Amino acid sequence: MTVAQYGAAAHTRPYLGKIGIRGRERLINAASYLLLLIAIAIVFFPLAWMLTVSVRPNIEVMRMPPEWLPQVFTLEGYRKIFASPRYLVVFANTMVVSLVVTALSLILGAMAAYALARFKFAGQRAVLMFLITTQMFPLVLLCIPYFRIFIALGLYDTRTSLIVVYLTFTLPFCILMLRSYFINIPRDIEEAAMVDGCSRVGAIFRTLVPMSYPAFIGAGLYTFLLAWNEFLFAVVLIESWENRVLTMAIYSLMAEFVTDWNTMMAFSVLASLPLVMAFIFLQKFMVQGMTAGALTS
Amino acid sequence: MLLTLKRKYREEFLAASFLWPSLTILVALLIYPLIDVVRLSFHDSNLQREVWVGFGNYIALANDPLFWRAFWQTVVFTFFSVVLHLVIGLGLALLLNMNLDPAFRTVARGLLIVPWLLAPTVAGMIWVLMLQPFGVLNGLLASLGIIDTNFTISWLGDPSTALGSVTAMNVWRAFPFFMVMLLAGLQAIPKQLYEAAEIDGASLFRQFWHITLPQLRGVITTIVLLDSIWTFRAFDPVYVMTGGGPAHGSEVLATAIYFDGFQKLKFGYASAEAVVMFIVLFIVSAIYVRRTMSNQQ
Repeated sequence: MTVAQYGAAAHTRPYLGKIGIRGRERLINAASYLLLLIAIAIVFFPLAWMLTVSVRPNIEVMRMPPEWLPQVFTLEGYRKIFASPRYLVVFANTMVVSLVVTALSLILGAMAAYALARFKFAGQRAVLMFLITTQMFPLVLLCIPYFRIFIALGLYDTRTSLIVVYLTFTLPFCILMLRSYFINIPRDIEEAAMVDGCSRVGAIFRTLVPMSYPAFIGAGLYTFLLAWNEFLFAVVLIESWENRVLTMAIYSLMAEFVTDWNTMMAFSVLASLPLVMAFIFLQKFMVQGMTAGALTS
Repeated sequence: MLLTLKRKYREEFLAASFLWPSLTILVALLIYPLIDVVRLSFHDSNLQREVWVGFGNYIALANDPLFWRAFWQTVVFTFFSVVLHLVIGLGLALLLNMNLDPAFRTVARGLLIVPWLLAPTVAGMIWVLMLQPFGVLNGLLASLGIIDTNFTISWLGDPSTALGSVTAMNVWRAFPFFMVMLLAGLQAIPKQLYEAAEIDGASLFRQFWHITLPQLRGVITTIVLLDSIWTFRAFDPVYVMTGGGPAHGSEVLATAIYFDGFQKLKFGYASAEAVVMFIVLFIVSAIYVRRTMSNQQ
C-alpha cells in the first residue's frame, strides 16, 4: 500500500538515455561487483600487511615510504616459532583448552537445550531469561571474584581454571542455539522411536542428534572461536608461561620484543590460521550459527 | 502418593534431570561472583584484608574525574563503533544482495568475514604495527601527499587520535557480524514486495526507504542492542592497543576496572566501578531480553 502511493514516481524517474531498463540493471550490477571488489581490497589490506611483514626482515618494516612487497623474503619468524618449545606449548595449550571447552559446552548445552525445547515446566521462562541475560554480563566484573575464588581453590594459574570460566559465555550460547534448532524438529520422530522400543536417551541419539548436526557444527565452531580468541580471563587467571594461551602470549611478545614485528606477525598468522581454515571449509554452518545464535537467543 | 506426585510433576522431573548440570555451573559461575562483587564494593580491600566502608567507594567514584572520563569515552567508543558497524554492514549487505553470481557472492561474503575471525588481540596488534609513526598508514598518507614524511602522526601516542584509532580497529574487526546478519535479513524479505514497487515505478531509493528498512527493523534493533552491549564491555582492543593511554586518553570502563583492581590493588573500588557498569548494561539488556522473550512466545 505504501508502495502504491508512490506510483507517480514512474514519471519522475531520471532519463537514462538509450541504455533502457536492461542496461540500467547491468550498469548497477557492474557497479556492485566493482564496489565489492574495492571493499574486499580495503578490508584485506591489514591482513595482507600482516602476511607480508611475517616474511620480511625487520629493517624493511618501518621504511618510509613503505615497500609494498618484501624486498628480501625470509621465513625466519616462522622458523623461530617452530624451533622454540616455549612457543609451541602455547599453541598446544590453546588447542586443548578450546577443544575441551567446545566439547563440554556442546554436551551440557545439548542436554539443557533438550529440556527447554521438549518439556513444559514451572520456571522455564525464568531459565530462558537468565540464559539470555548471562550473555550480557560485563566479563570484567567476574574477573575480581574469579581471581579470589581460584586462588582459594588452588586453581589459579591452571588451564582448568580457563576451561571452567570460558563456560560462562559458551554454555548459554550453545544452549540457546541448540534449543532453537531442536524446537523446529517435530517431537513425533522421537516418540515414534520410543514406541519402537528405544529408551528416551536412545531415541535422542538416534533421531534428534543426527538430525541437528548443522546446529552442532555451527555452535561448536562458534564456541571454539570464542574460546580460542578469549583474552581477559587468560590475563587475569594465568601467570606462568607454560600455562599461557595464544592471545596472551601475543600480548607478552609485544611487550617483550618491541621491534621484532616479523616474529610477531608470523605468530599472528599462525594463531589465525586454524580459525580461517575451519571457516573456509565450514562457512555455511558458521554463517548459520552466527545468524541463528543472535536472532533466536 | 509419591507416584501420583511423580506423575503430576513428570515433566519437571525429566527437565530437571537434563538441566541441572548446566544450571549449577552457570549459577556458580555468575550469580555467586555477582553477589561477591556487590559485597566487596562496600569494602576497602586489597585481598589481604577487608574493611567495611559502606558507600565510601561509591562516593569516591562519583567524585573521581578519571572514572567519568572512562565512562564518557566508553559511550563515545560504543556509539561510533555501533553506528559505523551498521552503516558499513548495511552497505555491504545491500551490495551482496544484488543480482550477483551465486559463487561470487559466497566467496565475497567469505572474504569479508575474515577480520571477524581474528582474535581482538591479533587484530589489535596488526593495527598497532600499521599505526606506528613509521608504520604503513603514515607511509600511505605520505605517498598520497597528505602528510609530510618528516611529520608523521603517532596515532596511538597522541591522546587526540588514540581512541579514534582503537575505534577504527574495532569497526574493521566487527563489521562482518552486521553484514552477515543484515544479509540474512535482506534475503528473508519477500520478492513480491519489490516486484509490486517496480510495477508502481518506485525508485531504488524509495524501495529502500519504504520496503527494505521497515522490513529490516527487527534485525537492526536486535543487532544494535547486542553490539552496544558487547562494545560497551569490551576490554581487549583498548588494553592491547593503548593500555588506556596516553594519559587515559583512550581509557574505557573495562580497562579502568582492570587497572584499579589488578594493578593498584584497590579491589573494593574496582568492584564499585564494576557494579555501576553492570547496572548500565543491565538496563540495556533488559530492553533486549524483553524483545527476545516476546519473540519467543
